[in-house]
Amino acid sequence: MTAETSSRAMTGTFGATLRRDLLLAARHPGDWINPLVFFLIAISLIPLGVGPESKVLAVLAPGVLWVMALLATLLSLDGLFRSDFEDGALEQCLVSPSLLYFTVLAKVVAHWLVTGLPLTLLSPVLGLMLSLPGGYGTLCLSLLIGTATMSLVGAVGAALTVSLQRGGLLLSLIVMPLYVPILIFGASAVNDAAQGVEVGVPLAILGAFLALALALAPMAASAALRVCVDSD
Amino acid sequence: MHPVRRQRLLLVLFIVVFSSVAIGLMAYALRANINLFYPPSQIVSGEAPVNTRIRAGGCVRPGSVERSKTTLETRFSLTDGVVDFPVVYSGILPDLFAEGEAAVVNGSLNKERVFVATEVLAKHDEEYMPPEVAEAMSQSGGDHDETCGGMAYGS
Amino acid sequence: MASWQWFHRLGSPRWFYEKTGGWLPWLTAVALVLLVLGTVWGLAFSPEDFKQGNSYRIIYIHVPAAFLALAGYYIMAVCGAVGLIWRMKLAFMVMKSAAPIGAGLTFVSLVTGAIWGKPTWGTWWAWDARITSMLILFFLYLGIMALQSAFQNREAADKASAILALVGTVNIPIIYKSVDWWYTLHQPATLKLTSAPTIHASMLYPLLTMVVAFYVFYAVVLLLYTRHEILRRESRTGWVRELIAKEGGL
Repeated sequence: MTAETSSRAMTGTFGATLRRDLLLAARHPGDWINPLVFFLIAISLIPLGVGPESKVLAVLAPGVLWVMALLATLLSLDGLFRSDFEDGALEQCLVSPSLLYFTVLAKVVAHWLVTGLPLTLLSPVLGLMLSLPGGYGTLCLSLLIGTATMSLVGAVGAALTVSLQRGGLLLSLIVMPLYVPILIFGASAVNDAAQGVEVGVPLAILGAFLALALALAPMAASAALRVCVDSD
Repeated sequence: MHPVRRQRLLLVLFIVVFSSVAIGLMAYALRANINLFYPPSQIVSGEAPVNTRIRAGGCVRPGSVERSKTTLETRFSLTDGVVDFPVVYSGILPDLFAEGEAAVVNGSLNKERVFVATEVLAKHDEEYMPPEVAEAMSQSGGDHDETCGGMAYGS
Repeated sequence: MASWQWFHRLGSPRWFYEKTGGWLPWLTAVALVLLVLGTVWGLAFSPEDFKQGNSYRIIYIHVPAAFLALAGYYIMAVCGAVGLIWRMKLAFMVMKSAAPIGAGLTFVSLVTGAIWGKPTWGTWWAWDARITSMLILFFLYLGIMALQSAFQNREAADKASAILALVGTVNIPIIYKSVDWWYTLHQPATLKLTSAPTIHASMLYPLLTMVVAFYVFYAVVLLLYTRHEILRRESRTGWVRELIAKEGGL
């Protein structure tokens, strides 16, 4: 086999999985629209709960936007491997000779493209509704990095709970503690930006989390899939 | 090369590259001030931003604590032994707050560069000793306290 | 391969059960003696602190509990890794037993920390880096226990929670370094490996006694939990039936 065809085989695993998942998402718009709608509704509940005073909302805005984005990501994670597990496609991936790492990575990238990216694009509008004083660029950038990291870390949790009947709640329980550092630095970046402070440090740390998650999370998720899919 | 072996190679490359990126970014971040904590010298020199929530700390300068007679407002200075800056706080101070002890304040600098604290926390150090020992050490001029002891308070 | 024999023997729950049965009374006695000694020494005989008075005495529980909450997580994660790599049943049993004990100790250190924080810092709870990290550690323990109990299949439960424990270890260095990174309220560690401790000898010795006492106590509780787990999992095997017949029980 020449190098060219083998490289095509490699991009084949990643590319084919990515294309397939995106196609599936396009056919089931509910899967990716629902987390967005959740984000929208949950954010609009905040002014109704704490009062419409824009001064208070401005203080709360960075944290609220980040917490809600976290919850929306969490809600969408349950479906990451579930349908593939139920129709047997996941088992096919497990027995195929190509590395599970790239299959998992492709599925996570697809998941981020249909949840994290739209969430990020929607966030400035919601920032306006919460009268966020500034730092819209940082809001988008931090959410862009943060939602990608959360998709990767969440994939481990989704893989661990894939074979469980009611895995959704348990998934949130085990993944939320792992999200804490991302939330801290993400929200503090937006907070700083809104007050006009330098944000290089929290963004660099968020980037470090993303790089670490890219290297390790798909491996942990693959191991988890092997354990959970084989056993049941 | 066999496609699976090629994938393995790519996987190793992925992990090496991303791990080094993570380490590099972390190293960059750790060089900078991570929690917006400012010692007195940086506040006096004007490095600290005005009207932003920051955290500052130092030793409460002996003789600087003024309590208002009618309200809960307290004024004091925090020092590092060389320079000091004024702090205003209205609220109940913790028990361990005392002159010559370390304190951490949360709040912001106003335009007159007075630190308006929303929270005052007494930072106790990691040293524990019986009172007699502490007394003996202070008599002999021993430096019992890393942050505040043995400090020359003249400015 | 003689040097590896003990390791393979360790894989046998029966061998472990029979071996540790003899140790247990001794360990329990040592733990009790040390706990009583450390408590009486710490509460009654060690002097007051020159600044904090009597309230500092809570370190005799707070520090050992926090030590073991962290060490317990490592013990659990290492057992999980051993179980995953060498497929050792016993390691998974120890791991499963370590989770609730660790969660309990984390809870104790959080509660004693809050009680200590009120008189010294002036607040029950501060969102300080180390306190927050301990809270996350507590959540991690809870998550591992929840995952463990969610599976019908025992092998899947063991392996899945082992993977989660290993993923969680990323948090532990962050917890440990957090005080240096954020420089917040919590004082740096009093006992250091590299330099002399910053606590007077009359307070240090009772504290060290309590730390050792907690370690032995932890070992006793872990052994009890693990032996219980062994009996539950091996209840259908011949040696457990023989044991029950011999003890004339149940």
